[in-house]
Amino acid sequence: MVTRTTRWLLFCVFVLTVPLPMLGPWEVLAPTARYLLLAVVTAAVMAVEGAAGPVPLILALFAGHALVYLLLAWLVTRLCTRLLTRLPTRASTGVVLAACAALLALSIVLELYITPFGSLPRSNLLGLLS
Amino acid sequence: MKRIVLALLLPALLLLAPNVTATEAPFERSEQRSPCTDYDPLRRAFFGDTHVHTALSFDAWGQGTMAGPGDAYRFARGEALGIQPYSSDGLPSRSIQLRRPLDFAIVTDHSDLLGETRICDDPSLEGHDSLVCRVVRRFPKLGYILVNGHVYSSELPSRYSFCGSGGAVCLQAALGPWQEIQQAAEAHYDRSSACGFTTFVGYEWTGMPGGRNIHRNVIFRNATAQRFPTTYIETPTQEGLWQALDQECLQAGNGCDVLAIPHNSNVSAGSMFTITSTDGSPISAEDAATRARLETLVEVTQHKGDSECRPGAEDELCAYETLPYARMADMAHVNSEPGQLPPLMYTREVLAEGLVQQARLGINPFKFGLIGSTDTHLAAPGMVDEDSFVGHAAGTVDSRLQVPAFPDRAEFNPGGLAVLWAEENSRDALFAAMRRREAYGTSGPRMTVRMFAGWDYPDDLCSGDDFVERGYAGGVPMGGDLPTAHGPGAPKLALWALRDPAGKQSPSHPLERIQIVKGYLDNGRSVEKVYDVAGEPADPDALDLSTCTTQARGSDQLCTVWSDPDFDPDAPAFYYARVLEVPSCRWNSYLCNRAGVDCDDPGSVPGELATCCDTGVARSIRERAWTSPVWYTPAGQR
Repeated sequence: MVTRTTRWLLFCVFVLTVPLPMLGPWEVLAPTARYLLLAVVTAAVMAVEGAAGPVPLILALFAGHALVYLLLAWLVTRLCTRLLTRLPTRASTGVVLAACAALLALSIVLELYITPFGSLPRSNLLGLLS
Repeated sequence: MKRIVLALLLPALLLLAPNVTATEAPFERSEQRSPCTDYDPLRRAFFGDTHVHTALSFDAWGQGTMAGPGDAYRFARGEALGIQPYSSDGLPSRSIQLRRPLDFAIVTDHSDLLGETRICDDPSLEGHDSLVCRVVRRFPKLGYILVNGHVYSSELPSRYSFCGSGGAVCLQAALGPWQEIQQAAEAHYDRSSACGFTTFVGYEWTGMPGGRNIHRNVIFRNATAQRFPTTYIETPTQEGLWQALDQECLQAGNGCDVLAIPHNSNVSAGSMFTITSTDGSPISAEDAATRARLETLVEVTQHKGDSECRPGAEDELCAYETLPYARMADMAHVNSEPGQLPPLMYTREVLAEGLVQQARLGINPFKFGLIGSTDTHLAAPGMVDEDSFVGHAAGTVDSRLQVPAFPDRAEFNPGGLAVLWAEENSRDALFAAMRRREAYGTSGPRMTVRMFAGWDYPDDLCSGDDFVERGYAGGVPMGGDLPTAHGPGAPKLALWALRDPAGKQSPSHPLERIQIVKGYLDNGRSVEKVYDVAGEPADPDALDLSTCTTQARGSDQLCTVWSDPDFDPDAPAFYYARVLEVPSCRWNSYLCNRAGVDCDDPGSVPGELATCCDTGVARSIRERAWTSPVWYTPAGQR
């Protein structure tokens, strides 16, 4: 597997599955993609209805988390990719695929996420996507 | 012979005639209904809740409340109510029930967002597929924050674009729930001679300029109400609300009659009881008269704290159910720091300001009585027992998805009750009590409190069995104006308080003492004094917080006739009574004890119950009642 593919695969799985906390008044443990989605939704409301009340603040909160965690995901995947280059290609590919499969499996089997903004208090990946 | 019969009959008739008519005109009937069989000319205390939200309020619905106005009234009458969280097939996960039914209740859903709530909930309505409604349904908590913030955190609130030009779509959609509110009030009002339960048509005008709470509950006397409830979005000032109530109800010529009850001045940042108009000019005599006519009561206690008096004042009992925020909006920040609290945030200082304004304008704009209520957003009126608090359901803590270990913010409380002295349990009788301020509030317990003010009450008034008759005959009840003095001497207050009789496993605690709170003007400056007039302070250590039992000795009843030792006949004054129970457990103590929290072993305390061991959170309270004041005005200033 080429380095670029490895990096992007790890990045996407990280963004989609790794639960990360939200700083602020609400107890949230969600993947980066969730923060990104909430930021996009809030931005859409702001674009359509204006910036009255707490909308800019909420948008800043979600967008800030999304950006910071995207950056974190990028740095982590870069580091992982660099470490993986020391392994033979076949082994490297195996590790990447196994790690991605494990993360996806865990996020589907376990209710890893605390999601007060959704329809369930805790959720797994499928719940988040539904 | 006729003269002899008349001579014999007349004294007998005078004895039988209700003395109450000597001071108060009986209420007028404005509706068709059966006469009540339990009519009592000396009036009875009726317990109720004037502040109730249901699923028609956006913030209640957004936090998972599904019960409507009819459910709220059934709950008030003693039926069980299923509440959130709901399962995917719509079944409630838990049920609550009052130990004792109420005598009356008033559903006061927010007039703002009535239409938006309905549109987002009903797929057949225009706007249901708007972006905002989609967000509300797909991300309920996000929708809750965005929509509430859009309306209530703005100086100039506006409608969402899906409401159409001028908000017409949402205003039209609001008619459905508004009619539902009126129909539920009608359906659950007992018009039979049993007079078992009374409802009123009402709504809440939710004014919140800049996050400062200036909310009013609007209560209609009978089935005749405004066609549209007045909204903060279209009518963003309190003067505008009064004008709307005047034009659309009082002046409508259709029998409509109305009162507005402010609440939570404790988070108003001083904007609720202003002495200037919205344009910055000092209020006029006409403004004062309008306010005095429409706002005869204030809700002094509810879930979101106590509004009686300023914490940190000389009166140590003001440190009771205090919220450390100047503005309602500050509550949104969980770690908000208490700021400086502006003046005119508490009813006692507002009552005193009323004396100042009366001296300036010749009319007192702040001549209001005191009541309590809950502000439940679970459609659960009267759910006030400390040992069964289930939360406010419209704040930062919600139970939409799961039951939180701690049902609400530690500084919230189960709220209180409104008590009205009326001849019977009917709309006209209760409304008349509200208008003449013969009312009091409690922090939850059903104490019975009488207060009369006059000049000539004998010191042994309490020893007879005609306290009430002589109270009415010799003066005025709570909420009234002291009549002109016959001669020199101080006014006398006759006070009688009975402990909550409890029953049906309701918690009940003995009475500790009665206090009189006096406010008066001294050279134009307002002064407050608090007098202990009956009973004595209980030993606070008599309460065992681990079991919530007390060894404190209190009284089942307290009665006294008190004469003001500092009376100045030239100084306008008001007097109200505060009746205290012995210290008892606050709701968090019951909850933490039930959960088996051991603060001596911090490692064993679950994180969600950490507040149980927060020494900054009160674990005990003195439950209490606040009567409406009586006012004294020197003869030359009347």
